[in-house]
Amino acid sequence: MDIVFLVLSIFTIISSIMVVGSKQLVHSAVYLAGALMGTAGLFLLLKAEFVAWAQVLVYVGAVVTLILFTIMLTRKGEEENGE
Amino acid sequence: MWTGDKMITNPNAYDLIVAILNAIGVYNIILGFFQDLGMEYILRVIIVLVIIAVLLVFVLLTVMFLSWLERKMFAVVQSRYGPMVTGPRGLFQPIADGIKLLGKEDIIPAKADRWIFTLAPFVVFVSVLLVFIPLPFGRSLIVSDLKVGLLYIIAISAVTPISILLAGWASNNKYSLMGAIRAVAQDISYTIPLAITAIAVVVFVGSLSTVDIVNAQSGYWFGFIPKWFIFLQPLGFILFLIACIAEMGRIPFDFQESEQELVAGFFTEYSGMKFAMFFLAEYAHLFAVSGIIVTIFLGGWTGPALPFIPFELTSLIYFMIKTYAVIFFAMWLRDTVPRVRIDQLLNLGWKIMIPLALLNLLLAAFVVTAGVI
Repeated sequence: MDIVFLVLSIFTIISSIMVVGSKQLVHSAVYLAGALMGTAGLFLLLKAEFVAWAQVLVYVGAVVTLILFTIMLTRKGEEENGE
Repeated sequence: MWTGDKMITNPNAYDLIVAILNAIGVYNIILGFFQDLGMEYILRVIIVLVIIAVLLVFVLLTVMFLSWLERKMFAVVQSRYGPMVTGPRGLFQPIADGIKLLGKEDIIPAKADRWIFTLAPFVVFVSVLLVFIPLPFGRSLIVSDLKVGLLYIIAISAVTPISILLAGWASNNKYSLMGAIRAVAQDISYTIPLAITAIAVVVFVGSLSTVDIVNAQSGYWFGFIPKWFIFLQPLGFILFLIACIAEMGRIPFDFQESEQELVAGFFTEYSGMKFAMFFLAEYAHLFAVSGIIVTIFLGGWTGPALPFIPFELTSLIYFMIKTYAVIFFAMWLRDTVPRVRIDQLLNLGWKIMIPLALLNLLLAAFVVTAGVI
Protein backbone atom coordinates (compact mmCIF):
# COMPACT_ATOMS: atom_id res chain seq x y z
CA MET A 1 0.00 0.00 0.00
CA ASP A 2 2.81 2.39 0.92
CA ILE A 3 4.68 1.61 -2.28
CA VAL A 4 1.58 2.22 -4.39
CA PHE A 5 0.97 5.49 -2.58
CA LEU A 6 4.58 6.55 -3.18
CA VAL A 7 4.49 5.68 -6.88
CA LEU A 8 1.16 7.46 -7.40
CA SER A 9 2.31 10.54 -5.49
CA ILE A 10 5.57 10.81 -7.41
CA PHE A 11 3.71 10.32 -10.68
CA THR A 12 1.18 13.01 -9.75
CA ILE A 13 3.83 15.49 -8.60
CA ILE A 14 6.04 15.01 -11.67
CA SER A 15 3.03 15.36 -13.97
CA SER A 16 1.93 18.50 -12.17
CA ILE A 17 5.39 20.03 -12.54
CA MET A 18 5.48 19.08 -16.22
CA VAL A 19 2.10 20.81 -16.75
CA VAL A 20 3.75 24.18 -16.13
CA GLY A 21 7.16 23.06 -17.39
CA SER A 22 6.50 21.74 -20.88
CA LYS A 23 6.79 24.07 -23.85
CA GLN A 24 3.89 22.72 -25.90
CA LEU A 25 0.35 23.46 -24.75
CA VAL A 26 -0.96 20.08 -25.90
CA HIS A 27 1.75 18.30 -23.91
CA SER A 28 0.73 20.34 -20.86
CA ALA A 29 -2.84 19.16 -21.31
CA VAL A 30 -1.69 15.53 -21.50
CA TYR A 31 0.35 15.93 -18.32
CA LEU A 32 -2.68 17.55 -16.68
CA ALA A 33 -4.71 14.46 -17.57
CA GLY A 34 -1.94 12.34 -16.02
CA ALA A 35 -1.89 14.42 -12.82
CA LEU A 36 -5.68 14.17 -12.47
CA MET A 37 -5.54 10.41 -13.09
CA GLY A 38 -2.92 10.14 -10.35
CA THR A 39 -5.21 12.03 -7.99
CA ALA A 40 -8.03 9.63 -8.87
CA GLY A 41 -5.66 6.78 -7.99
CA LEU A 42 -4.98 8.37 -4.61
CA PHE A 43 -8.74 8.55 -4.00
CA LEU A 44 -8.95 4.85 -4.87
CA LEU A 45 -6.28 4.11 -2.26
CA LEU A 46 -8.51 5.87 0.29
CA LYS A 47 -11.31 3.45 -0.76
CA ALA A 48 -13.34 6.38 -2.12
CA GLU A 49 -14.36 4.72 -5.38
CA PHE A 50 -17.19 7.09 -6.19
CA VAL A 51 -15.03 10.20 -5.81
CA ALA A 52 -12.24 8.60 -7.83
CA TRP A 53 -14.39 7.75 -10.85
CA ALA A 54 -16.28 11.04 -10.59
CA GLN A 55 -12.85 12.69 -10.72
CA VAL A 56 -11.99 10.73 -13.88
CA LEU A 57 -15.36 11.49 -15.47
CA VAL A 58 -15.47 15.20 -14.67
CA TYR A 59 -11.82 16.26 -14.79
CA VAL A 60 -10.12 13.89 -17.23
CA GLY A 61 -13.19 13.23 -19.35
CA ALA A 62 -14.69 16.69 -19.53
CA VAL A 63 -12.24 19.39 -18.41
CA VAL A 64 -9.13 18.13 -20.21
CA THR A 65 -11.15 17.37 -23.35
CA LEU A 66 -12.51 20.91 -23.34
CA ILE A 67 -9.02 22.34 -22.77
CA LEU A 68 -7.60 20.29 -25.66
CA PHE A 69 -10.52 21.24 -27.85
CA THR A 70 -9.98 24.92 -27.16
CA ILE A 71 -6.23 24.68 -27.78
CA MET A 72 -6.77 22.93 -31.10
CA LEU A 73 -9.44 25.30 -32.33
CA THR A 74 -7.52 28.46 -31.45
CA ARG A 75 -3.75 28.01 -31.28
CA LYS A 76 -2.97 25.70 -34.19
CA GLY A 77 -1.18 28.36 -36.29
CA GLU A 78 1.23 29.44 -33.56
CA GLU A 79 2.22 25.90 -32.74
CA GLU A 80 3.14 25.18 -36.34
CA ASN A 81 5.37 28.27 -36.39
CA GLY A 82 6.97 27.23 -33.13
CA GLU A 83 8.26 23.94 -34.46
CA MET B 1 -32.90 3.02 -1.61
CA TRP B 2 -29.13 3.37 -1.91
CA THR B 3 -27.55 -0.02 -1.41
CA GLY B 4 -24.11 0.72 -2.79
CA ASP B 5 -22.53 0.57 0.66
CA LYS B 6 -23.74 -2.92 1.47
CA MET B 7 -21.22 -5.34 2.88
CA ILE B 8 -22.28 -8.45 0.94
CA THR B 9 -20.20 -8.70 -2.23
CA ASN B 10 -21.37 -10.64 -5.25
CA PRO B 11 -19.13 -13.54 -6.32
CA ASN B 12 -16.62 -12.71 -9.05
CA ALA B 13 -14.25 -14.71 -11.25
CA TYR B 14 -11.64 -14.92 -8.46
CA ASP B 15 -14.13 -16.64 -6.15
CA LEU B 16 -15.15 -18.90 -9.02
CA ILE B 17 -11.57 -20.06 -9.63
CA VAL B 18 -11.08 -20.68 -5.90
CA ALA B 19 -14.37 -22.62 -5.81
CA ILE B 20 -13.34 -24.74 -8.82
CA LEU B 21 -9.93 -25.46 -7.29
CA ASN B 22 -11.67 -26.40 -4.04
CA ALA B 23 -14.04 -28.69 -5.91
CA ILE B 24 -11.11 -30.52 -7.50
CA GLY B 25 -9.51 -30.55 -4.06
CA VAL B 26 -6.19 -28.94 -4.92
CA TYR B 27 -6.74 -25.41 -3.56
CA ASN B 28 -5.58 -26.22 -0.04
CA ILE B 29 -2.48 -28.02 -1.37
CA ILE B 30 -1.49 -25.03 -3.51
CA LEU B 31 -2.32 -22.59 -0.72
CA GLY B 32 -0.27 -24.65 1.75
CA PHE B 33 2.67 -24.65 -0.66
CA PHE B 34 2.64 -20.85 -0.91
CA GLN B 35 2.02 -20.46 2.83
CA ASP B 36 5.16 -22.53 3.52
CA LEU B 37 7.08 -20.03 1.42
CA GLY B 38 5.36 -17.23 3.32
CA MET B 39 4.14 -15.67 0.08
CA GLU B 40 0.36 -16.08 0.02
CA TYR B 41 -0.06 -12.94 -2.05
CA ILE B 42 1.78 -14.57 -4.96
CA LEU B 43 -1.09 -17.03 -5.32
CA ARG B 44 -3.55 -14.13 -5.44
CA VAL B 45 -1.43 -12.39 -8.07
CA ILE B 46 -1.23 -15.58 -10.17
CA ILE B 47 -5.02 -16.08 -10.06
CA VAL B 48 -5.62 -12.44 -11.03
CA LEU B 49 -3.12 -12.75 -13.91
CA VAL B 50 -4.91 -15.88 -15.14
CA ILE B 51 -8.22 -14.00 -15.09
CA ILE B 52 -6.70 -11.09 -17.04
CA ALA B 53 -5.15 -13.46 -19.60
CA VAL B 54 -8.45 -15.30 -20.12
CA LEU B 55 -10.30 -12.01 -20.52
CA LEU B 56 -7.73 -10.68 -23.00
CA VAL B 57 -7.77 -13.85 -25.12
CA PHE B 58 -11.56 -13.96 -25.05
CA VAL B 59 -11.87 -10.32 -26.13
CA LEU B 60 -9.26 -10.66 -28.89
CA LEU B 61 -10.89 -13.82 -30.28
CA THR B 62 -14.28 -12.11 -30.23
CA VAL B 63 -12.80 -9.08 -31.98
CA MET B 64 -11.35 -11.29 -34.72
CA PHE B 65 -14.64 -13.07 -35.15
CA LEU B 66 -16.53 -9.76 -35.24
CA SER B 67 -14.31 -8.33 -37.98
CA TRP B 68 -15.01 -11.46 -40.05
CA LEU B 69 -18.75 -11.26 -39.28
CA GLU B 70 -18.91 -7.61 -40.27
CA ARG B 71 -17.31 -8.22 -43.68
CA LYS B 72 -19.42 -11.30 -44.26
CA MET B 73 -22.67 -9.52 -43.41
CA PHE B 74 -21.76 -6.53 -45.54
CA ALA B 75 -21.11 -8.94 -48.40
CA VAL B 76 -24.42 -10.76 -47.94
CA VAL B 77 -26.33 -7.47 -47.94
CA GLN B 78 -24.59 -6.50 -51.20
CA SER B 79 -25.12 -9.97 -52.77
CA ARG B 80 -21.42 -10.86 -52.64
CA TYR B 81 -19.58 -13.75 -51.03
CA GLY B 82 -17.11 -11.76 -48.93
CA PRO B 83 -13.88 -13.39 -47.72
CA MET B 84 -13.88 -17.01 -48.92
CA VAL B 85 -10.27 -18.08 -49.53
CA THR B 86 -8.56 -18.45 -46.11
CA GLY B 87 -10.12 -21.21 -44.08
CA PRO B 88 -13.72 -22.47 -44.13
CA ARG B 89 -15.93 -19.64 -45.46
CA GLY B 90 -12.96 -17.29 -44.99
CA LEU B 91 -13.03 -17.69 -41.21
CA PHE B 92 -9.24 -17.27 -40.89
CA GLN B 93 -9.23 -13.98 -42.79
CA PRO B 94 -8.75 -11.90 -39.56
CA ILE B 95 -5.58 -13.90 -38.78
CA ALA B 96 -4.21 -13.22 -42.27
CA ASP B 97 -5.08 -9.53 -41.85
CA GLY B 98 -3.36 -9.45 -38.47
CA ILE B 99 -0.17 -11.00 -39.87
CA LYS B 100 -0.25 -8.54 -42.77
CA LEU B 101 -0.62 -5.56 -40.41
CA LEU B 102 2.15 -6.83 -38.11
CA GLY B 103 4.53 -7.16 -41.04
CA LYS B 104 3.87 -3.69 -42.38
CA GLU B 105 6.30 -0.82 -41.98
CA ASP B 106 5.49 1.40 -39.02
CA ILE B 107 5.53 4.90 -40.50
CA ILE B 108 5.65 8.01 -38.33
CA PRO B 109 5.17 11.22 -40.37
CA ALA B 110 8.19 13.56 -40.28
CA LYS B 111 6.29 16.48 -38.77
CA ALA B 112 4.31 14.35 -36.32
CA ASP B 113 4.64 14.59 -32.57
CA ARG B 114 6.42 11.25 -32.03
CA TRP B 115 5.51 10.61 -28.39
CA ILE B 116 1.86 11.48 -28.59
CA PHE B 117 1.55 9.79 -31.99
CA THR B 118 2.82 6.54 -30.43
CA LEU B 119 0.93 6.90 -27.16
CA ALA B 120 -2.55 7.59 -28.57
CA PRO B 121 -3.44 4.18 -30.11
CA PHE B 122 -2.42 2.37 -26.93
CA VAL B 123 -4.52 4.69 -24.76
CA VAL B 124 -7.52 4.05 -27.04
CA PHE B 125 -7.05 0.28 -26.84
CA VAL B 126 -6.42 0.15 -23.09
CA SER B 127 -9.37 2.40 -22.25
CA VAL B 128 -11.64 0.11 -24.27
CA LEU B 129 -10.23 -3.00 -22.56
CA LEU B 130 -10.77 -1.45 -19.11
CA VAL B 131 -14.52 -1.27 -19.79
CA PHE B 132 -14.66 -5.08 -19.63
CA ILE B 133 -13.65 -5.18 -15.95
CA PRO B 134 -17.10 -4.60 -14.40
CA LEU B 135 -18.98 -6.33 -17.24
CA PRO B 136 -20.80 -9.47 -16.02
CA PHE B 137 -20.43 -12.18 -18.68
CA GLY B 138 -22.36 -14.65 -16.56
CA ARG B 139 -23.11 -15.47 -12.94
CA SER B 140 -19.81 -14.87 -11.08
CA LEU B 141 -18.08 -14.48 -14.46
CA ILE B 142 -17.01 -10.91 -13.75
CA VAL B 143 -13.47 -9.67 -13.21
CA SER B 144 -14.41 -7.30 -10.41
CA ASP B 145 -17.86 -6.31 -9.20
CA LEU B 146 -17.18 -2.63 -8.53
CA LYS B 147 -19.66 -0.90 -6.27
CA VAL B 148 -19.78 1.96 -8.77
CA GLY B 149 -19.54 -0.17 -11.92
CA LEU B 150 -21.81 1.90 -14.14
CA LEU B 151 -20.12 5.17 -13.18
CA TYR B 152 -16.77 3.48 -13.86
CA ILE B 153 -17.89 2.44 -17.35
CA ILE B 154 -19.10 5.95 -18.18
CA ALA B 155 -15.93 7.52 -16.72
CA ILE B 156 -13.60 5.25 -18.69
CA SER B 157 -15.58 5.85 -21.89
CA ALA B 158 -15.11 9.56 -21.29
CA VAL B 159 -11.31 9.16 -21.50
CA THR B 160 -11.40 7.84 -25.09
CA PRO B 161 -12.11 11.25 -26.74
CA ILE B 162 -8.82 12.62 -25.34
CA SER B 163 -6.78 9.92 -27.03
CA ILE B 164 -8.69 10.35 -30.29
CA LEU B 165 -8.06 14.09 -30.16
CA LEU B 166 -4.37 13.46 -29.45
CA ALA B 167 -4.11 10.96 -32.32
CA GLY B 168 -5.66 13.44 -34.71
CA TRP B 169 -3.52 16.33 -33.53
CA ALA B 170 -0.22 14.43 -33.40
CA SER B 171 -0.56 13.25 -37.01
CA ASN B 172 -0.16 16.87 -38.16
CA ASN B 173 -2.62 16.36 -40.98
CA LYS B 174 -5.71 18.49 -41.57
CA TYR B 175 -7.94 15.49 -42.30
CA SER B 176 -6.83 13.77 -39.10
CA LEU B 177 -7.51 16.89 -37.07
CA MET B 178 -10.91 17.41 -38.68
CA GLY B 179 -11.81 13.78 -38.03
CA ALA B 180 -10.68 14.01 -34.43
CA ILE B 181 -12.59 17.23 -33.77
CA ARG B 182 -15.74 15.75 -35.28
CA ALA B 183 -15.33 12.53 -33.33
CA VAL B 184 -14.93 14.38 -30.05
CA ALA B 185 -17.77 16.83 -30.71
CA GLN B 186 -19.98 13.82 -31.36
CA ASP B 187 -18.65 11.89 -28.39
CA ILE B 188 -19.16 14.62 -25.80
CA SER B 189 -22.64 15.53 -27.05
CA TYR B 190 -23.83 11.91 -26.96
CA THR B 191 -22.24 11.01 -23.61
CA ILE B 192 -24.81 13.25 -21.89
CA PRO B 193 -28.00 11.38 -23.01
CA LEU B 194 -26.08 8.12 -22.50
CA ALA B 195 -25.32 8.94 -18.87
CA ILE B 196 -28.80 10.33 -18.15
CA THR B 197 -30.59 7.24 -19.50
CA ALA B 198 -28.21 5.04 -17.49
CA ILE B 199 -29.09 7.06 -14.37
CA ALA B 200 -32.80 6.35 -15.00
CA VAL B 201 -32.02 2.63 -14.67
CA VAL B 202 -29.96 3.26 -11.54
CA VAL B 203 -32.99 5.02 -10.03
CA PHE B 204 -34.93 1.75 -10.37
CA VAL B 205 -32.16 -0.52 -9.07
CA GLY B 206 -30.77 1.72 -6.34
CA SER B 207 -27.23 0.53 -7.00
CA LEU B 208 -24.49 1.31 -9.51
CA SER B 209 -23.08 -2.23 -9.42
CA THR B 210 -23.60 -4.04 -12.73
CA VAL B 211 -24.28 -7.34 -10.95
CA ASP B 212 -27.02 -5.72 -8.87
CA ILE B 213 -28.53 -4.29 -12.06
CA VAL B 214 -28.62 -7.77 -13.61
CA ASN B 215 -30.00 -9.35 -10.44
CA ALA B 216 -32.79 -6.76 -10.37
CA GLN B 217 -33.87 -8.00 -13.82
CA SER B 218 -34.28 -11.67 -12.88
CA GLY B 219 -37.82 -12.96 -12.54
CA TYR B 220 -41.00 -12.47 -14.55
CA TRP B 221 -44.03 -10.20 -14.60
CA PHE B 222 -47.36 -12.07 -14.82
CA GLY B 223 -45.32 -15.24 -15.11
CA PHE B 224 -44.07 -14.78 -18.68
CA ILE B 225 -42.72 -11.26 -19.39
CA PRO B 226 -39.09 -11.14 -18.20
CA LYS B 227 -38.36 -8.23 -15.86
CA TRP B 228 -35.96 -6.56 -18.27
CA PHE B 229 -35.61 -2.79 -18.15
CA ILE B 230 -36.39 -2.57 -21.87
CA PHE B 231 -40.07 -3.20 -21.00
CA LEU B 232 -39.95 -0.73 -18.13
CA GLN B 233 -38.11 1.94 -20.09
CA PRO B 234 -38.63 1.56 -23.86
CA LEU B 235 -37.81 5.25 -24.43
CA GLY B 236 -34.65 4.94 -22.37
CA PHE B 237 -33.59 1.86 -24.34
CA ILE B 238 -34.02 3.58 -27.71
CA LEU B 239 -32.12 6.67 -26.53
CA PHE B 240 -29.34 4.54 -25.05
CA LEU B 241 -29.03 2.49 -28.25
CA ILE B 242 -28.81 5.58 -30.46
CA ALA B 243 -26.33 7.24 -28.11
CA CYS B 244 -24.20 4.08 -28.02
CA ILE B 245 -24.07 3.79 -31.81
CA ALA B 246 -23.11 7.46 -32.00
CA GLU B 247 -20.41 6.93 -29.36
CA MET B 248 -18.98 4.03 -31.31
CA GLY B 249 -19.00 6.14 -34.48
CA ARG B 250 -20.75 3.52 -36.57
CA ILE B 251 -22.56 4.23 -39.75
CA PRO B 252 -25.47 6.49 -39.39
CA PHE B 253 -23.09 8.62 -37.28
CA ASP B 254 -19.60 7.78 -38.59
CA PHE B 255 -18.31 11.33 -39.04
CA GLN B 256 -14.92 10.60 -37.60
CA GLU B 257 -13.99 8.51 -40.63
CA SER B 258 -16.47 9.50 -43.33
CA GLU B 259 -14.45 8.28 -46.29
CA GLN B 260 -15.93 10.62 -48.86
CA GLU B 261 -14.98 13.78 -46.97
CA LEU B 262 -11.99 12.92 -44.76
CA VAL B 263 -9.56 10.29 -45.98
CA ALA B 264 -9.95 7.98 -43.00
CA GLY B 265 -10.54 10.40 -40.14
CA PHE B 266 -8.22 10.58 -37.18
CA PHE B 267 -6.18 7.50 -38.11
CA THR B 268 -5.32 8.57 -41.65
CA GLU B 269 -1.58 8.66 -40.91
CA TYR B 270 -1.45 5.44 -38.92
CA SER B 271 -0.10 2.21 -40.37
CA GLY B 272 1.07 -1.21 -39.26
CA MET B 273 0.68 -2.16 -35.61
CA LYS B 274 -0.70 1.21 -34.52
CA PHE B 275 -3.46 1.00 -37.11
CA ALA B 276 -4.18 -2.53 -35.89
CA MET B 277 -4.59 -1.07 -32.37
CA PHE B 278 -7.30 1.32 -33.59
CA PHE B 279 -8.93 -1.50 -35.52
CA LEU B 280 -8.95 -3.82 -32.49
CA ALA B 281 -10.20 -1.02 -30.27
CA GLU B 282 -13.09 -0.34 -32.65
CA TYR B 283 -14.40 -3.90 -32.55
CA ALA B 284 -13.64 -4.36 -28.85
CA HIS B 285 -15.66 -1.19 -28.28
CA LEU B 286 -18.54 -2.64 -30.30
CA PHE B 287 -18.45 -5.78 -28.15
CA ALA B 288 -18.16 -3.83 -24.89
CA VAL B 289 -20.99 -1.44 -25.72
CA SER B 290 -23.27 -4.29 -26.81
CA GLY B 291 -22.47 -6.03 -23.54
CA ILE B 292 -23.36 -2.87 -21.61
CA ILE B 293 -26.68 -2.53 -23.48
CA VAL B 294 -27.46 -6.17 -22.67
CA THR B 295 -26.48 -5.72 -19.03
CA ILE B 296 -28.53 -2.60 -18.48
CA PHE B 297 -31.64 -3.17 -20.59
CA LEU B 298 -31.84 -6.77 -21.81
CA GLY B 299 -31.47 -8.64 -18.55
CA GLY B 300 -27.77 -9.44 -18.76
CA TRP B 301 -27.14 -13.13 -18.13
CA THR B 302 -30.58 -13.91 -16.70
CA GLY B 303 -32.53 -16.74 -18.25
CA PRO B 304 -34.10 -20.09 -17.40
CA ALA B 305 -31.69 -22.52 -15.74
CA LEU B 306 -31.15 -25.83 -17.55
CA PRO B 307 -30.81 -29.12 -15.63
CA PHE B 308 -27.38 -30.81 -15.29
CA ILE B 309 -25.50 -27.80 -16.71
CA PRO B 310 -23.87 -25.36 -14.25
CA PHE B 311 -25.64 -22.01 -14.40
CA GLU B 312 -22.29 -20.26 -14.84
CA LEU B 313 -22.12 -21.82 -18.32
CA THR B 314 -25.77 -21.30 -19.34
CA SER B 315 -25.66 -17.68 -18.14
CA LEU B 316 -22.57 -17.08 -20.31
CA ILE B 317 -24.44 -18.52 -23.30
CA TYR B 318 -27.51 -16.33 -22.62
CA PHE B 319 -25.26 -13.28 -22.34
CA MET B 320 -23.45 -14.07 -25.59
CA ILE B 321 -26.71 -14.70 -27.49
CA LYS B 322 -28.13 -11.35 -26.39
CA THR B 323 -24.85 -9.54 -27.07
CA TYR B 324 -24.58 -10.97 -30.57
CA ALA B 325 -28.19 -9.93 -31.22
CA VAL B 326 -27.25 -6.32 -30.40
CA ILE B 327 -24.05 -6.58 -32.46
CA PHE B 328 -26.07 -8.00 -35.35
CA PHE B 329 -28.42 -5.02 -35.13
CA ALA B 330 -25.51 -2.55 -35.19
CA MET B 331 -23.95 -4.28 -38.21
CA TRP B 332 -27.29 -4.51 -40.01
CA LEU B 333 -27.74 -0.77 -39.46
CA ARG B 334 -24.28 -0.13 -40.86
CA ASP B 335 -25.01 -2.09 -44.02
CA THR B 336 -28.37 -0.57 -44.85
CA VAL B 337 -28.56 3.03 -43.63
CA PRO B 338 -26.89 6.13 -45.16
CA ARG B 339 -24.96 8.69 -43.13
CA VAL B 340 -26.77 11.70 -41.62
CA ARG B 341 -25.38 15.25 -41.92
CA ILE B 342 -23.17 16.69 -39.18
CA ASP B 343 -25.62 19.48 -38.30
CA GLN B 344 -28.47 16.95 -38.16
CA LEU B 345 -26.34 14.83 -35.84
CA LEU B 346 -25.65 17.65 -33.39
CA ASN B 347 -29.27 18.89 -33.56
CA LEU B 348 -30.50 15.38 -32.82
CA GLY B 349 -28.12 15.09 -29.89
CA TRP B 350 -28.69 18.40 -28.19
CA LYS B 351 -32.26 19.36 -29.14
CA ILE B 352 -34.03 16.00 -29.12
CA MET B 353 -32.10 13.34 -27.24
CA ILE B 354 -31.10 15.31 -24.13
CA PRO B 355 -34.64 16.65 -23.45
CA LEU B 356 -36.11 13.19 -24.06
CA ALA B 357 -33.49 11.62 -21.77
CA LEU B 358 -34.37 14.12 -19.04
CA LEU B 359 -38.07 13.37 -19.53
CA ASN B 360 -37.28 9.68 -19.24
CA LEU B 361 -35.39 10.28 -16.01
CA LEU B 362 -38.32 12.31 -14.66
CA LEU B 363 -40.78 9.53 -15.51
CA ALA B 364 -38.53 6.95 -13.86
CA ALA B 365 -38.29 9.09 -10.74
CA PHE B 366 -42.09 9.50 -10.63
CA VAL B 367 -42.67 5.78 -11.05
CA VAL B 368 -40.20 4.89 -8.32
CA THR B 369 -41.43 7.59 -5.90
CA ALA B 370 -45.06 6.60 -6.46
CA GLY B 371 -44.06 3.04 -5.62
CA VAL B 372 -45.61 1.51 -8.78
CA ILE B 373 -42.66 -0.86 -9.25
